[in-house]
Amino acid sequence: MSADASDLSLVRRVQRGDKGAFDALVLKYQHKLVKLVMRYVRNPAEAEDIAQEAFIKAYRALPQFRGDSAFYTWLYRIAINTAKNAVVSRDRSPIDYSIDRNADESYDMQGRMKDSETPEALVLTDEIRSTVNAAIEALPEDLRTAIVLRELEGLSYEEIAAAMDCPVGTVRSRIFRAREAIDRRLREVFEGGLGRAEELG
Amino acid sequence: MNEELDSQLSAMFDDELAHAECELLARRLSRDAELKARWGRYAMIAAAIRAERGVRLHAQVARRVSAIVVAEPALAAADPARGRQLRWWRPAAGAAVAAGVAAVSILWLRAQAPVSPASAPQPLSAAVTAAAGSSAEAPSAAAIPERATAGPVSYVVPPAPRGTVAVVPATELANYVVAHSMFTPPMARGNLLSSFITSESGSAGNNVAVSQDFAEDPPHDAHGAAR
Repeated sequence: MSADASDLSLVRRVQRGDKGAFDALVLKYQHKLVKLVMRYVRNPAEAEDIAQEAFIKAYRALPQFRGDSAFYTWLYRIAINTAKNAVVSRDRSPIDYSIDRNADESYDMQGRMKDSETPEALVLTDEIRSTVNAAIEALPEDLRTAIVLRELEGLSYEEIAAAMDCPVGTVRSRIFRAREAIDRRLREVFEGGLGRAEELG
Repeated sequence: MNEELDSQLSAMFDDELAHAECELLARRLSRDAELKARWGRYAMIAAAIRAERGVRLHAQVARRVSAIVVAEPALAAADPARGRQLRWWRPAAGAAVAAGVAAVSILWLRAQAPVSPASAPQPLSAAVTAAAGSSAEAPSAAAIPERATAGPVSYVVPPAPRGTVAVVPATELANYVVAHSMFTPPMARGNLLSSFITSESGSAGNNVAVSQDFAEDPPHDAHGAAR
């Protein structure tokens, strides 16, 4: 098992002309990429535009990707360059991260309210977040610990197995069951009228 | 939905699935809309847990990118693994081409270069002639080309080997002198050219004698003599 086997399998499919495999890569990394770009631009909508541009650049450059580095590392570099170019061309300066965390958070909230985020969009994001948090709170402790160690701490299954003193197979099962439980709650919320099912993608 | 399949999807999302299984599941993931939607929700859950500030969890980036990619031409069926395998011969091929060009250039230059006395086959030298004249003892057979020994024994005017340039025509010598005229005073150059013209209309023996002089002396010595 290689660390990047999943991405590489999808990348190879895209390189052979399977565009659907690229959708999976975009779905997996869109949030990470937008978060990354937001280090350079303050407006979430603008960050999404830049992330979109980075994905398109990556798609067009994918025939040259040989797999010497992880796909996300390669994508990360493209996104950084795209964001820097966008900042230069729009004559904006990157956010100064030397300010303290509280100031950053207050600025972030002000920025969000001032920018083009609609109230509906904010409500939708907050609703998703609160649903996920509620679902996590409702999980049995072993599932909650496994999913949090994976998603929040970024530990591998082997590391989680060591931390929880259980087999790797059990970790895999716990994480899967945690995701299924959260996903079930999410689908209930969206199918209940807040959003449309296709927006989940 | 098959629970085992979903479990595999969850493991694949975490890069914790074996390569062979990834290959199979990637194929299905790229075609199965429901599986893809579940995959997208896994990403949304991860982003929500990480509480990424400012990131819209329902971002439409994926849908917009997909719409653009659909309009794009499909990527060429490039095989990066094959490209990696063949990369090793590129420097070797480059070196081979460079060597080939160099070899052709050298051969061409040699073919174009005027036949100089130094590069012409060495006729039997005047020194040998002198030695033959003063002594009855003939040079050893090894020192004389086979063709020469096959001919009549005469060291005064030795026969030139057939098929090779044994003598340098006066016109070529004249060209040589003209080409190196910067080293030759005009008066001496004129005299030398006159003598070439004269020798051109003279006997073949004279030609041989002139050529033998150049054959023994390097060109710069000839210029010195001309001065």
